Order: sequence, then structure tokens, then C-alpha cells
Amino acid sequence: MVKTLDARGLACPAPVLMTKDAVESGDVTTVEIIVDNEAAKENVSRFLGSRQFSVTSTQDGTDFKLLAQREGTAKDPLPAVESKPAPASGTQKKIMVLIATDRLGFGDDELGQKLIVSFIKTIKEMGKELWRLVFVNNGVKLTISGSPVLEDLLAYEKNGLTILVCGTCLTHFDLLEAKKVGETTNMLDIVTAMQLADKVINL
Amino acid sequence: MLVGLGTADDAGVYQISEELALIQTVDFFTPIVDDPFDFGRIAAANALSDVYAMGGEPKTAMNLVAYPMQKLGKEILRAVLAGGIEKIREAGAVLIGGHSVEDDEFKYGLSVTGFVHPRKIYTNRGLRPGDRLILTKPLGFGIINTAIKGGLASSETISEVTELMASLNKTASEVSKSFPIAACTDVTGFGLLGHLAEMIDGTDVGVTVESKNVPVLPDAMTFASIGFVPGGAHRNRNFRSNIVRLSDDVGPVMQDVLFDPQTSGGLLIGCPEKAARVLKNQLISNGISYAAIIGAVHDTEKGIINVI
Repeated sequence: MVKTLDARGLACPAPVLMTKDAVESGDVTTVEIIVDNEAAKENVSRFLGSRQFSVTSTQDGTDFKLLAQREGTAKDPLPAVESKPAPASGTQKKIMVLIATDRLGFGDDELGQKLIVSFIKTIKEMGKELWRLVFVNNGVKLTISGSPVLEDLLAYEKNGLTILVCGTCLTHFDLLEAKKVGETTNMLDIVTAMQLADKVINL
Repeated sequence: MLVGLGTADDAGVYQISEELALIQTVDFFTPIVDDPFDFGRIAAANALSDVYAMGGEPKTAMNLVAYPMQKLGKEILRAVLAGGIEKIREAGAVLIGGHSVEDDEFKYGLSVTGFVHPRKIYTNRGLRPGDRLILTKPLGFGIINTAIKGGLASSETISEVTELMASLNKTASEVSKSFPIAACTDVTGFGLLGHLAEMIDGTDVGVTVESKNVPVLPDAMTFASIGFVPGGAHRNRNFRSNIVRLSDDVGPVMQDVLFDPQTSGGLLIGCPEKAARVLKNQLISNGISYAAIIGAVHDTEKGIINVI
């Protein structure tokens, strides 16, 4: 079925809404739309692209003619944006991990060091729910130059994870200068973060 | 008069004595969400925001209402006004009156008066080389409101964006008071780069915005990439194209986000680098979880915004 639309004289988002209504009403394979501004041309093209249409545009005076054809089989013609898991940070669970040691568990220290390295490398599997990584006491030694997990932590921080490092602890071990990753923080910030987190994991 | 029409500031400021100046502002618009109580909260938070952007405290508010009483009936209006009052109370201000007219198209907002110490006013102008810029709410409200109109936004997305628009800039303004703030504004109809342009156009400083550090609602990227962009975003970009330089790394979707007109957007705060880092942490500790350092001020390329 071919649909022809005239969206001239309409400001965004009206041309997109009009196009959406058209492609969602019945088995449309070809859509022709006339728009009269660059923004509408761009937005309608983006919308049709997202709905598996291939779009070609031609300029006609000050108007643009968009010719859109549905590509391939229409087995999933209207991917509903709604059904995507919305990674909404406001409603997402916030997990804070408090690391107070540079080795995991008690017993063999060598094993404990291996385990903490493995833990830090694996913690990214928590995905976006991982909200804060907080290092206190001996844990701050994981954030200094020469730490076996420095590269991993730097990568996490670059990815947007907030890493907080206890300033009092760094001062105590005389490591303020050696710290290479994370923001130096104070106990008030740590306590507040605990309060805001949905879950706090202590190591 | 301390601040008037000349600098496109958020509100007018009139000095009364050595210690006291009045901030006056007014803002109203048509409904952007379906729920009347939420619309009231958002419109009030948006109007109150101008006082916070000047570093002041709201004291009194008056309702501005244009309403089709025959068509919509009393109940909806009552819910809108209740939403507004909730925000006025949260701001620590009082509602002292208002004015309503019959109109085919519903509009609601507030006229707000606030107090500020004349030497502690935050203005738009005043960024200095070395300052960093902090943004306190994510971008994408206009795009998501457009997707709501198109029936594409999920109920989770609608409620998230509603809460963000309805949240006052009160905490952000109060927390920043113990820091050396160089300049401040709130991000509204001109979008982030439009309001930033007002802060530096024709001045002796330039800014670099790191787009990867700008907080954006993830759904806004999704909706913009399928064309749900308000017309205002394009107008904002065209209006400021002479002073905004976008690097090739900033794709067309991100450009729309950076110029997306915001309703009740966050504060855009400039202060020295070291203070900015501490301020950002304190904002986050105070529940403003999206606060981020998004750019830097320098003395090269004066009056230009570089986006990388």
C-alpha cells in the first residue's frame, strides 16, 4: 500500500507524528512525504529508518520529497521502543560496594590477593546497577600506581562509574600522591552514599 | 536595579537596602504531561527555578491561570493548583494570590518573588578562565515530552522525566552557596548550548564542552535517533550556529540533545576547577545524582563554544 503525506507548514514533531500514524495504519510498503524544512526532513528520515524503511530524498524548490520503501520482509515491522528495557538511571537499583581490604577473605594472603583482583575484574558484570565503588582502609592500596587492578578501575571510571577513595586512609598510609584513580572523599560523602544506595556490599 | 533585561538573565533583581534585593520572575506554559497534579508541580518548579538560578530564596508566589472552565471543569484545575502549592511549600514560599482568565487553551504558571543578598547574586555573566561548568539535571526532557505526545514513552520513562522536571533546583542552589560561584543559570527553552551561549557570547572567555560527560537520559538518545525531536532544538541550533563549533565526534543525535529545549531543567554552574570537583561530589551526596562536570572555561577562542 502506498501512502502520500503532505507535512508542509508543520513544525517538528508534527511531521514525525503524522508519518508514525501513517505507517502504523495497515500494511504500508511505500510512503511519500513532502516536507518544507531541513529539520522535518532529518527527523522523518530517522523515524522511517528506525522502522525498516529505506529513504531517498529529492529537493523540489524549498520543499523536500521523501520516498520511503519498506525493506525486506515485514516480520517485525514496528519494533516497539516501549518494549526495550529502559535503562532509566532514576529508577535503577543503586549498588554500592565498600572495599576495606586489598585481599579477599581470611587465611592465605596470596590467595586473598588473587581473589580481590579477580573480584574487581568481574564486578563489571553487575552492569549499570553498580553505582559506587568506595575504597577505605587497606582497600585504598588498590587505587595506587602499581596496583594489579589499576587499569581495570581506570576503565570503569572512564565508563562513568564513580569511584571514591577515603582521604583519611590515603593520608594515614602516606599514599595521597600515589593514588591514580577515583575521587578522594570524606566520611560524610561515604555515609551519605550508603544512605542513598539501595544495597551496600561490604568487603 | 541590579539585573535587568540587558544580559538575558533568569530574573530581574532590584536592590532595596545594603543587605536585601528582590528577585522577580514569571513563567507559565501549556500542559506537557497528562496528569494535572504533575503538570502543576512541573510548572511551579519551573517558575521557582529562576529564583534559584539567581542564588535567591523564593518568598512569595502568585498563580497565573488561563483556563477553559466549561470544557475541563473545576476538578482538573484544582489538581493543578494543588500540585503548584506543593512545590511552593517545598520551596519555603507562600502563595499570596493570583489571577485567572477564561481561555480556550489551558496555561498555568507562577509569578515568584525572592530575596537575595545584593552581593551574593548569581548572574549569567562572570565565567573566568579556569572555571569548570557543572550541570545538575540530565538533558532530554524536550525530546521525551515529544515522544510522550507520540505515544512512545513507557510509563517508567514518563514518571522518571516527570519527577526530574518537578524537582526543585533548591538543593543545588543551596549547596552551591558555600562555593565561589562565578556564574549560574538554569537550562530551559534554549537548551544547554543556547543558555551557555548567553553566558559567553561577546565576552572574553570561551568554553569547551565535553559531550561524553554531559548527563543525558538514555531514552532521550533512543527517541532522538528515531526522529522525535522538538522543533525548538533545530531553532536553537540555527540561532547559535555562529558561535558553536561541533566536532565531528558529536553526532546529529547528540547535537539535538545538546540543543533540546528543557522544561524545568537543571542549573548550569561555573566555578573554579578544584571547587567544582568538591561541589559536584556534594551535589551527588545531596541526592542530585546526575550532577556532572561538563566543560571548562578558557581565554582562547573568546565567545566561542567548542563541543568535543
